Amino acid sequence: MKRSPLANAILWFVLIMGTAAFVFPLWWMTVVSLETPERAGAAITGSGGVVLVPPSPQFHNYLDAIRETGSKPWMGFVDALANSIVVTVLVVLGTVISSSLVGYAFARLRFRGSRALFLVMLGTMMLPGQVTMIPLFLVFRQFGWIDTLMPLVVPAFFGNAFFIFMYRQFIAQIPESLVEAARVDGLGHLAIWWRIVLPLCRPVTAICAVFTFIGTWNDFLAPLIYLHSDEKSTLAVALNGFKNQYGGLDDVHLLMALSVLTMIPCIVLFIAAQKTFVEGLARGAVKG
Amino acid sequence: MANVKLHKVGKVYEGPGGSQVRAVEAVDLAIADGEFCVLVGPSGCGKSTTLRMIAGLEEISEGTLEIDGARVNDLPAKDRDIAFVFQNYALYPHLTVAQNIAFGLETRRAHRSALVAALSGAGAARGEESAKIDARVAEVSRTLGLDALLARFPRELSGGQRQRVAVGRAIARDPKVFLFDEPLSNLDARLRIETRTELRMLHRRLRATIVYVTHDQEEAMTLADRLVVMHKGKVQQNAGPQECYERPANRFVAGFIGTPPMNIVDGRLANGAFGANGVHAPMPTRVSDRACALGFRPDRVRLAAPNSAGSVAATIAAVERLGDRTDIALDSAWGRIVARIDADLATGAREGDAVGFTFDAAHAHLFEAGECGARISV
Repeated sequence: MKRSPLANAILWFVLIMGTAAFVFPLWWMTVVSLETPERAGAAITGSGGVVLVPPSPQFHNYLDAIRETGSKPWMGFVDALANSIVVTVLVVLGTVISSSLVGYAFARLRFRGSRALFLVMLGTMMLPGQVTMIPLFLVFRQFGWIDTLMPLVVPAFFGNAFFIFMYRQFIAQIPESLVEAARVDGLGHLAIWWRIVLPLCRPVTAICAVFTFIGTWNDFLAPLIYLHSDEKSTLAVALNGFKNQYGGLDDVHLLMALSVLTMIPCIVLFIAAQKTFVEGLARGAVKG
Repeated sequence: MANVKLHKVGKVYEGPGGSQVRAVEAVDLAIADGEFCVLVGPSGCGKSTTLRMIAGLEEISEGTLEIDGARVNDLPAKDRDIAFVFQNYALYPHLTVAQNIAFGLETRRAHRSALVAALSGAGAARGEESAKIDARVAEVSRTLGLDALLARFPRELSGGQRQRVAVGRAIARDPKVFLFDEPLSNLDARLRIETRTELRMLHRRLRATIVYVTHDQEEAMTLADRLVVMHKGKVQQNAGPQECYERPANRFVAGFIGTPPMNIVDGRLANGAFGANGVHAPMPTRVSDRACALGFRPDRVRLAAPNSAGSVAATIAAVERLGDRTDIALDSAWGRIVARIDADLATGAREGDAVGFTFDAAHAHLFEAGECGARISV
């Protein structure tokens, strides 16, 4: 369909405005991260006006930010980065493994009460996190897990209701005959899940992994609740350390620089996994 | 290779509200070593369920299944040493052709190799097994002409090629019994006939025991050593294909086997003649007066002059010219009758013409009344 030039112009205008609205905060964050301390301070109080290109970019802000993170120079950043990586990798692995396994069971195993269990599981999605926060904290304190990474990592290995649901829906569409062929070929349920179902679930796994990664990498609340000591904190919590004792900000430029650094893995991962999102690998499984 | 015995095998499904649906009823079947046995019947007749029970994909509700003399009712599919070719091929989409063919071999190796590795040098044993598998895949792909496709994925293959890979996956493992569930129904007509011939030749070469399910009676006739005709969960006839054609055990088999189907007329035998709706034709038989159904195949029908002695009056409803033969549909007091005659004899036939027909009483069949009425010997 061919649009009139006017319609085209309107469409482009709307799209550009929308893009600008989403990109501006990121751009502005990057701009402030490159300002001098004075100009950065002025920028966030609004007294400096909106600057779209820093007049003299202070690239050393990034090294300064890394050095100033946490209480130990340099090592504070290394600790936070290591903690973030450990937690995120384990949570992503745990979520993918447990959710796909449970999703497979709900999709392919017939057992008494499976429907009821599935509904209960879906029901847990309706619980706001705030409701379970305090009971969970008490449970983990009983386990002696406070100020360890355990409360952040272990729950991931018990599945995520939303991703279980996604896996179940996807696995239910895999032709039954593939599973039966695998049974005839000598595989048990675990092997079918690992060797047949999981490879076919790549699009779901990509979504599950990327969303879990971003959610965990950026998670602020859980690490703040469960971790106290400096060397246990994750990057998201370490960012908070740039606030002074009164809750104000002295080093806005450093906070912004570290924020930019923290965001990079998420953006890279999203771009890398984008293709897999839309890929339908099940094509060609059967006559089509 | 092995023989397969079914003794009073049945399948009962739990329906809604505790009701029971009987999909397969008391199937008795003995398939000899190396025999090509075809289960044929209309959809919903229980043939696929029977096959899946032999495979172990479906639980056996009643009766006994033996493979090579051993009861295997409770053995899982993987331990029955069978290979199953699915209607939609069920190739693993994320594996190449070579990996698909090798898959069953490798999972079996994984079972054994734990022990092998513990007893001998793990690496050497493993390498040797891998080489064996590679050799087997090469051999199978040569047999089926798949050499050039080994590195491709299933989605890159045509329907016929996928079908061959599915067969290759089955024969690679050299199982005791091959089970085929309508493997040709997704191919176009021409390819279906070619593949049919290939399967027949493959069977002769492998001397394999094959149980094959199809709804296509022509496919069944051409492939089978033994034909098992099923209807409503029951075996209607279990015999050689020629016998099923020449001496159908009951009215259902008579109507199901053969194209075009046998003409079957409900009526009454009396005084050496068969009559229906007031129209009689001579039918010499020892059978005394009784209600029954008369069956005669289209190629046993002859056209006659209208009102000639012993003929049944009819009008030509449709003429289908097939080249060497012509099928003529006739409307008569006996209902719609199909005649298949030499094209030479049908050159003058026009739709709407009044004619008469006779049938070859020596090759006619008599059945008890009812859908599955048994054969009455003439």
